[in-house]
Amino acid sequence: MTVDPNAATQNFPSPEPGHRRPHPARYLVPALVAAAVAVGLGVYGKVHDPAGTAFNLAGFSSTGAVKSWLGTVAFFFALVQVVSAAMVYGRLPGPRWSPALHRWSGRVAFLVSVPVAVHCLYALGYQTYETRVLWHSLLGCFFFGAFSAKMLLLRSERLPGWLLPIVGGLVFTALTIIWLTSALWFFRTFGVTT
Amino acid sequence: MKRSGPVVTLLAGLLLGLFMLSMNSTTGTKSASTSYAEESPEAATAAPTPTRTTASPSPSPSRTQIPDADYAGRTTDDSASVAVTLRDGKAIAYFCDGRAKESWLKGDVEDDGTMKLTGKHGAELNGTLKDGKRISGTVDIDGGQYAFTADKAKKPSGLYRATATVRGAKVDGGWIVLPDGRQVGIFTRDGEPAPAPRIDPETGAVTIDGQQLTARPVTP
Repeated sequence: MTVDPNAATQNFPSPEPGHRRPHPARYLVPALVAAAVAVGLGVYGKVHDPAGTAFNLAGFSSTGAVKSWLGTVAFFFALVQVVSAAMVYGRLPGPRWSPALHRWSGRVAFLVSVPVAVHCLYALGYQTYETRVLWHSLLGCFFFGAFSAKMLLLRSERLPGWLLPIVGGLVFTALTIIWLTSALWFFRTFGVTT
Repeated sequence: MKRSGPVVTLLAGLLLGLFMLSMNSTTGTKSASTSYAEESPEAATAAPTPTRTTASPSPSPSRTQIPDADYAGRTTDDSASVAVTLRDGKAIAYFCDGRAKESWLKGDVEDDGTMKLTGKHGAELNGTLKDGKRISGTVDIDGGQYAFTADKAKKPSGLYRATATVRGAKVDGGWIVLPDGRQVGIFTRDGEPAPAPRIDPETGAVTIDGQQLTARPVTP
């Protein structure tokens, strides 16, 4: 019979995003942004002459205790992140609001970590004179890169199921080591002070 | 787009970071320039700082007349070093001969730039800030009087301190890094003063009794 002129188009791969293979930009853009953030922070910390004396500003006492406590708060919410993520993925029994818990604990952890990072980069810079400091500098930059990637990946749908847990796990691991090499070190060296 | 939440989170973090950075930078300019007396009420209100300010809530305008800065120099007989750090009209000074004699002195800076700082065991520093460029005056310590001139110091020169407990002993180190890179420091181990090892002026890292400490810039 007569061919329906519209029929042919339906044999093409559907332009509907639901059936499309993920465009490489979905991974590329977050990866590039992550690299740019991490390298940018590192370069800033290395090139910028550390001011050393930003302590009396913006809530930071000269002892660094405030940073340690903010970092500890961030680390606490990072632990909440892991638990709530397991709830979202159904690995742990969780309440209906566990996705909201995951989102908001993440936001708090991130926003609390920002002033600490600003202070680190502005006053101390990227340093390598000691193993602890080297890892802290390296992972501090990596953390914000990985976090940016995680946030941008969240916007994509139909990612491989393993991708978000892996990236999220990287973010958590980085923050853990950052906390161990700074706040825990501070508390052990100077005592648990405020 | 689909989910804007994550991007909003990122942008909020970015804005917060930039905001904090700009606050740091403006105050940095304040301490760097001499004539630019900036009022920083927003820095004071936005900062629930646990600084040990004596319950004076609002920084009175007269307080901000004295620019925040660091000064470091030698006594005229070249036997000891003196460093002074000014912040918000308060001063902390350190007198140190690098061997056994040291003193931490504290006090207020008057609007005309004069200061009378006092330390333990009757130590006293009388100084005058001239044009924001140098502080000259005298230090009275252990019955002797030392005249000194301390020029404005730029990072990393200035005044550093590290306190810690190393294997049960309380150690307290003070360092003056002079503009030419020379260092004078004493650290006291359980009340016993001794010459201090050099600190890395960039990072404040110093090893005392095998333990890595970090000397930090001193503020009043």
